[in-house]
Amino acid sequence: MRTRWLRWLLVPLLVVPVGWLLFTGLGHDPRLIPSPLVGKPMPAFAGTTLAGGQFSSAELAGKPAIVNFWASYCIPSCVDEHPVLLDLAARHVGELQMVGVLVNDTTDGARAFLARYGQVSWPNLLNADGGVSIDYGVTGPPETFFVNSQGIVVARHVGPLTAAVVAEELAALGIEP
Amino acid sequence: MIPTLGHLAVVIGLAATVYAAGAFILGGRSGDAAVLASARRAMYAAFALVAFACFAMVVSLLSHDFSVLYVARNNATTTPPFYSVISLWAALEGSILFWTLLASGWASLVLYRYRARLPALMPWVGATLALGTAFFFAVMAWPSDPFVRVTPIGLEGNGPNALLQNHPFMGLHPPLLYLGYTGMAIPFAFGMAALITRRTDEEWLAVVRRWTLVPWIFLTAGIVAGAWWSYAVLGWGGYWAWDPVENAALLPWLTATAFIHSSMVAERRGTLRTWTHALVIATFVLTLVGTFLTRSGVVNSVHAFTTSGIGAWFASAILVTLGVALALLVWRLPDLRDRRPPGAVVSRESAFVFNNVLFLGVTFAILFGTLYPVLVEATTGAKASVGAPWFNRVNAPIFVALLFLTGVGPALPWGGASWATVRERFAVPILSGVGVVVAAWALGVRDAAPLGIFGLATFVLVVMGDEVVRGAHSRARSRGETAPLAVLRLATRNRRRYGGYLAHVGICVMAVAIAVSATLGIDRTATLAEGETLSIGPYTLTYDKLVTEPLASDPRVIETRAELTLAGPQSGHMATALRDYPNSATAIATPVVRTALGEDLYVTLLGYNPDARTATLRIFINPLVMWIWTGGAIVAFGALFAIWPDRRRTAVAAAVAGA
Repeated sequence: MRTRWLRWLLVPLLVVPVGWLLFTGLGHDPRLIPSPLVGKPMPAFAGTTLAGGQFSSAELAGKPAIVNFWASYCIPSCVDEHPVLLDLAARHVGELQMVGVLVNDTTDGARAFLARYGQVSWPNLLNADGGVSIDYGVTGPPETFFVNSQGIVVARHVGPLTAAVVAEELAALGIEP
Repeated sequence: MIPTLGHLAVVIGLAATVYAAGAFILGGRSGDAAVLASARRAMYAAFALVAFACFAMVVSLLSHDFSVLYVARNNATTTPPFYSVISLWAALEGSILFWTLLASGWASLVLYRYRARLPALMPWVGATLALGTAFFFAVMAWPSDPFVRVTPIGLEGNGPNALLQNHPFMGLHPPLLYLGYTGMAIPFAFGMAALITRRTDEEWLAVVRRWTLVPWIFLTAGIVAGAWWSYAVLGWGGYWAWDPVENAALLPWLTATAFIHSSMVAERRGTLRTWTHALVIATFVLTLVGTFLTRSGVVNSVHAFTTSGIGAWFASAILVTLGVALALLVWRLPDLRDRRPPGAVVSRESAFVFNNVLFLGVTFAILFGTLYPVLVEATTGAKASVGAPWFNRVNAPIFVALLFLTGVGPALPWGGASWATVRERFAVPILSGVGVVVAAWALGVRDAAPLGIFGLATFVLVVMGDEVVRGAHSRARSRGETAPLAVLRLATRNRRRYGGYLAHVGICVMAVAIAVSATLGIDRTATLAEGETLSIGPYTLTYDKLVTEPLASDPRVIETRAELTLAGPQSGHMATALRDYPNSATAIATPVVRTALGEDLYVTLLGYNPDARTATLRIFINPLVMWIWTGGAIVAFGALFAIWPDRRRTAVAAAVAGA
């Protein structure tokens, strides 16, 4: 008789650990996907840009840089992050270098995207054979890599950039957000 | 306009289900028939409303209305109509809409069928189903609105997920699986109603056994169709990878299967009643956990499904369901005591108890393996994964033991068996099993897994064959029927038993096919130049040429295919391709499978060099794979046979009711 209440312990004994597991799992940001590149020198790349010029990753040396993988068909994620990128470029002229890399996109599609959502000041690599995406292990656009002034990859972000993510990563690169 | 109406239907549907839940509870307490009838009608209305919302979504997809975010993300102007329609369930918001359609459809069906029966139970069944449906309506009204609009409206959409538009099976597998998932709410609702009303006798079990088998058939078919899809689309030559999504479907299937067996003991012997209730609760909670794991981003770190706040909603729903159901169970424990002492150790009920222990063991092992990465990340912050070898090693012995019990259970009588009975029933089956193992050894099979499974499957099949022959023989003798007629009558007069046997035959077929295909196949990778020939097994494969061109059905997709000529037991031309979708960074393989009764020849293009015109091919000879699907179909058919209404018994019941 005295031990009958004990069976009620069954309820919290099951519910509390399950709840802990479910909610701590939720607290983790699934976009923080580890990349084997973090802590290593950025893979080098070179090629034709959307504007018709040539670009080589060697030009990024000496200053912190971000490498942004995107595509015109990536709606709405790339559309969402576009103003964030434009704002970033406008506020850090001279202290941060940016380069875009197209993922499986057509030249016409990319031009139409920029005409519609805002022209950019930084070069965009056509990456026609997809080799740069493979070197960086890109799973799908948009994806962004943060590189410090020594050319070492310090972070990878999967999914659209937000002002909060940018502020955090810039601080890690030693730039006042 | 149409999307706005769709959204409106969702909001009204939410109101209708909330009203229905309240009215069912009030009606259940007062017994007011008018209130209960209005609650039922509110549920029918909710079904009609969500059906309209689905229609609105399909119209938006077919008309490429990119003002709807879901359409912009999952459709393009070039998407073929078939894939536009099935995009309804290709991503999170749409699949919840479709899920709600099926859940409210099941609820309406059950409420309609039992509108004049089980008056004590049904209000609480209705209340549980209405609350469950209301949750999904609420998810659509707040965190995961399928009809969110975008401005400015894009000219072109993202297109469906490349993997999901590569095979027509995508039109079949998710609906089957979802019908299974959502249907498991019915046994749960009856279980809750039985606990609430303290009518935990055999009445609810009789109803629920049937209403568990119906969604169970869909779940079985959905899992097998999913394995088939994975085999035909993903190009790695296998069909089961212990991926969280696959495990999420298997977990409720395992507990539901355990329930189907334990409920027979509860019904016949009045024991295992608490346990049976617990299984009903576990099955339903696991369908929710499965949805949560695969849709919240907790386990799968792919960014597609993570942005919505739906995870917290599902986590809360799981906790509330688990907490309330457990509390109810604990509260009613005194009602659920065994009616009889447990049977002897060697008896059919003990075989069922062992069966349940093993099912539970497999469930825990798979749940642990699936949640282990979450557990590690929650405690240490590190990323971890549990691979297929771990799952195979842990689960294979348990599945083998389950296969053995498949033969033991049916041959043992209820209550207890004497040593003489055991010897009489098992001598021939065991000897047959041993004989088949020896014969297979003599024919050159040396792997332990197929040898063991051959022996066990023979044992099980002979046990069941013996049962059928015994029954038919006595029937033929006492009634003067011919042998085939006696077998037919025996089976149709005792559908439950022989339907079960048929399902067990399907399990044996699947077990043999899985063991053989996993161990006796051939797997080779080769890079060939145009015109080169390769010999594999009895086949000769010539790589003719590499062709790159846009797909006729969707010109945005560029297909590169290696055209092949096959000679050997099967011959002809075939092609295996890689397809580049504009919204996928990696090319999607389109393997070619040539199936004959005995084996599949499976060729997938791993890569190619467009300049040198070489192709890297991976070629599998997968024996007996098609028998996995066939076995699955036999299992589903057996269960269908078991629940098929007995016309004779229905007629008698109607006559009694009329008299």
